[in-house]
Amino acid sequence: MHAVRWKKVFRDLASHRFRTVLVVLSIATGIFAVGVVMGGRAILLREFDSEFAASVPLNADFYTMPFSDPIVRRAREYPGVAEAMGRHSASLRYRWAGADAPRTLSLVAIKDYDDVTVQRIVPETVRSWPPKRGEIVLERAALQVGKYEIGDTLEVETRTGEKKILTVSGFAHDINAVPAQFVGSETGYVSFESLPDIGEAKSYNELLVAMTGTSLTQREASLLAENIKRDVLEENGITVLGVYVPKPGSHFLGDIFKAVSLLLLALGLLSLLLSGFLVVNTVSALMAQQIKQVGIMKAIGGRASQVTWMYLGMVAIYGVLAVLVGVPASAWAGQQFIEFAAGVLNFRVSSYVPPDWVTTLEVGVGLVVPLLAAIVPIRLGTRTSVVKALTQTGVDSAAFGHGLVDRVLGLLRGLPRPVALSLRNTFLRKGRLLLTLTTLSLASAVVMSVFSVQASINQTTDDLEDWWRYEAQVRYERQTDQAGTERIIKGTPGVTEVESWVGTTVTLDRPDGTTAEGLNLIGTPYDTTFIHPTMLAGRWLQVGDEDAVVVNTDARKSEPSLDLGQRVTVEVAGEKRVLRVVGVVKGQFGGSALYMNREALTVLLPESGITQTLIKMSFTDTASQRRALDEIETRLDDANYRVVSTRTTAQFREQIASELGILVAFLVIMAVLLAAVGVIGLTGTMTINVIESTREIGVMRAIGAQHGSIYQIFITEGLAVGFMAWLIGAAAAYPMSYGLVSLLSGAIGLPLSYHFSLTGVGSWLGIIAAISVLASVAPAFRASQVSVRDAIAYE
Amino acid sequence: MSQIATPGSSDGALLRLRSVFKVYDTGETPFTALKGIDLDVHTGEFVGIIGKSGSGKTTLINMITGIDHPTSGEIVIDGTPVHDLGENDLARWRGRTIGVVFQFFQLLPTLTVRENILLPMDFCHMWAPRERVDRAMDLLEQVELADQANKLPAALSGGQQQRAAIARALANDPPILAADEPTGNLDSKTADAVFGLFERLVEHHKTIIMVTHDNDMANRVRRALHVSDGEIIEERVHRPRAGA
Repeated sequence: MHAVRWKKVFRDLASHRFRTVLVVLSIATGIFAVGVVMGGRAILLREFDSEFAASVPLNADFYTMPFSDPIVRRAREYPGVAEAMGRHSASLRYRWAGADAPRTLSLVAIKDYDDVTVQRIVPETVRSWPPKRGEIVLERAALQVGKYEIGDTLEVETRTGEKKILTVSGFAHDINAVPAQFVGSETGYVSFESLPDIGEAKSYNELLVAMTGTSLTQREASLLAENIKRDVLEENGITVLGVYVPKPGSHFLGDIFKAVSLLLLALGLLSLLLSGFLVVNTVSALMAQQIKQVGIMKAIGGRASQVTWMYLGMVAIYGVLAVLVGVPASAWAGQQFIEFAAGVLNFRVSSYVPPDWVTTLEVGVGLVVPLLAAIVPIRLGTRTSVVKALTQTGVDSAAFGHGLVDRVLGLLRGLPRPVALSLRNTFLRKGRLLLTLTTLSLASAVVMSVFSVQASINQTTDDLEDWWRYEAQVRYERQTDQAGTERIIKGTPGVTEVESWVGTTVTLDRPDGTTAEGLNLIGTPYDTTFIHPTMLAGRWLQVGDEDAVVVNTDARKSEPSLDLGQRVTVEVAGEKRVLRVVGVVKGQFGGSALYMNREALTVLLPESGITQTLIKMSFTDTASQRRALDEIETRLDDANYRVVSTRTTAQFREQIASELGILVAFLVIMAVLLAAVGVIGLTGTMTINVIESTREIGVMRAIGAQHGSIYQIFITEGLAVGFMAWLIGAAAAYPMSYGLVSLLSGAIGLPLSYHFSLTGVGSWLGIIAAISVLASVAPAFRASQVSVRDAIAYE
Repeated sequence: MSQIATPGSSDGALLRLRSVFKVYDTGETPFTALKGIDLDVHTGEFVGIIGKSGSGKTTLINMITGIDHPTSGEIVIDGTPVHDLGENDLARWRGRTIGVVFQFFQLLPTLTVRENILLPMDFCHMWAPRERVDRAMDLLEQVELADQANKLPAALSGGQQQRAAIARALANDPPILAADEPTGNLDSKTADAVFGLFERLVEHHKTIIMVTHDNDMANRVRRALHVSDGEIIEERVHRPRAGA
């Protein structure tokens, strides 16, 4: 019959409810952190990947002059093509009552919404589906930027300048549509019958092709796209305006996903480590507290193995309770996290159930890690000689005074006695101090690193801002008269200076024989004062440069052949040209761009005219800038200049900030989670320190210490631990944050400007001080409530 | 390796210590707590170890109970060379051979009085499971605590706790009872009652070794060993008191 010793285990758990709750919470926090981070990452990737795959992503997108169904059929039958479909797309300006300024609408018209074979669209909240004539179904990401409602009307400006009304009839989800918050334009779906009403031809102008093969390479996709362009489109007299061949299987938010996923993985591993430390810490403290009882049991015949099993059983019960608390809690928080991520990244979640390996990992963290962590302290405890166990009075008086730190602390003079006592107490239990410090320092380092990553992202947007030396930009539908547009814009109140650029899309011949379509080649005055490029290598454009181009980091990332000193062949307006890469500048979140002298580019183009105007204004506030830009658009419109989009620099900065803000939001969520693990760790340690010091507290009170003095001692001890963790964490935060920033830079393809946040370091000092006080006050209060008699008799 | 031997030793002594030294490493200068103790105790003896604080009396009883290990020397109890036993064998041997009674009772606070007595039987697998409860109740009857069986130690007075601790020490029916200042924390009336209990146990052929600094108690034991500076400096044998 083993009932009695197991009764002791259960009674210990029940009678030390506070300690049980604390230990269970400590382990559960570890499970929670690991579950939310690892589970969140796994669900995020699984759901995103499955929805993306189910949508049938395209492998080639052809922008063409009008074509009809026979072309689509030919494309479908072309070898290597899995699916093909035609649709009509257009970019139109529209006004909506919910927004002050005109906005851009990426319009998509599909002939048969029941037969969408590529880039499938899922209706969500719709009054009618497919949209009827005169109706528009908005892609649901529009709701992230405005409070659109069913029944709202959009006043769409046709290409001929007429105003037509489309009524919002619902919201659909298209995982392949770039979310509105990232591009500043909403995607909307209309019926083919609506096209003539809004001045669009009732024909296809976009061919979407999905190719066969699961391991398709970009080279294979590019080659097949070239063949389709030639054999299916051009051979049938269809002019191709542009071809977009994405990396097979990659989503446009893939880089952000990669970054978020890497961050989650890094933080997940850190939380796993922290949970391990937390458990080791807690179990060590538990054993220290139980050491006398171990001695008694051994004195009355209990063998070390029997006592070991009792405590392992106790730890297993803690683990089971923690799993019961931590797994559902992490599932709940994970669902909130995924909902947040799905909203921001615009994907649908069909199941919030984490994969089995995550649940196994959680159970492992809850059961196996505590048991493994407990083995050493339990063995140490049960192997302690009976006499030592029985004579131990909470703290081994011989444990202090031998080390260097102890001697230094002993030499400190002039400190108030309670403070000196606190500092010496801090170093009394060195093993536990080390574990607590490790946990809290690691959490501190992560939190301070997150501050620095955030600061680096802010620094990057500030640096981006430094690039822009203008307040607004107008883009035209086609090459436009420079003098005419500049005259109108300059005549608008608030405008101080304008500069016109010319842009075109070019095709790059890759070294492997394939081509890269749709690269932006921008002609800018070499001595422009409207931008301040951040040079990463080489030089900026100079007077007389005719074949020189400067590429941005986005272009170099997508096309590695665009490296400094390389000569590259591009096709500009049907003619092959050899250009020389003379410099690399930091990208601006505007996609790939190659810059060359405006005059040199103008010579290469068959038509004259500019494609965009940059505007400097005297207004410093964004509202005035926006109003002036609206006025410019109206004036250009009145003069029959077709504007395709306008944006203020402030508006663009907001879009970038919202894109990078996703990373910051994820980082903050994770940092809070890890900080919570650290805080629980410190609270646990302080509580157990106080419980263990109950006898000492009794002695101190017996010799005259009042509540205030007891509080002062423990709060100072907590603060000392917090301060040390802050100091170590701050030192570790530098390399850690540098690593995280490098990781993010690599993932999003933009060199982030590293900035170590001293504000973050200072803020965390304040936070950790508050945490340390809070973590110490509650246990000290509890101890101060014990009577002197009970405290001294405390076992 | 188990070295538990059969009862009895060649010279008839139940307990034999030879040249037992105990040196503590205090970090700076080693402290010799026992300086070559030689001692024989026979079955049914009631031995008192007397001495001032720091004299080495507790160290001596810790050597006998196997709670602490000698630095050198031999300790043979009931034929078992205790000094050679490992921790595990020592624990099992102790549970069956020596009942230990502490000054501060050391009952486990989360177990009831009866469960505290059942625990050594549980650890040492003594008695059939059904018999254990009956035996625990018998022992509680003997120490007049049967009515307190289901209470937690905290609900008992000091004297009651010490009687419960004695009952626990007797749980596995060990031939020897080792008590370290068992009355040191009790008032004189309760101390007297506890001492009376010991005397009754001796009458039932238990061997009792008791550490005390109380001269009155020392005068009541049959054999008193005076320990000073780690050595037995005096041994007195008393006639049992009338009626004891």
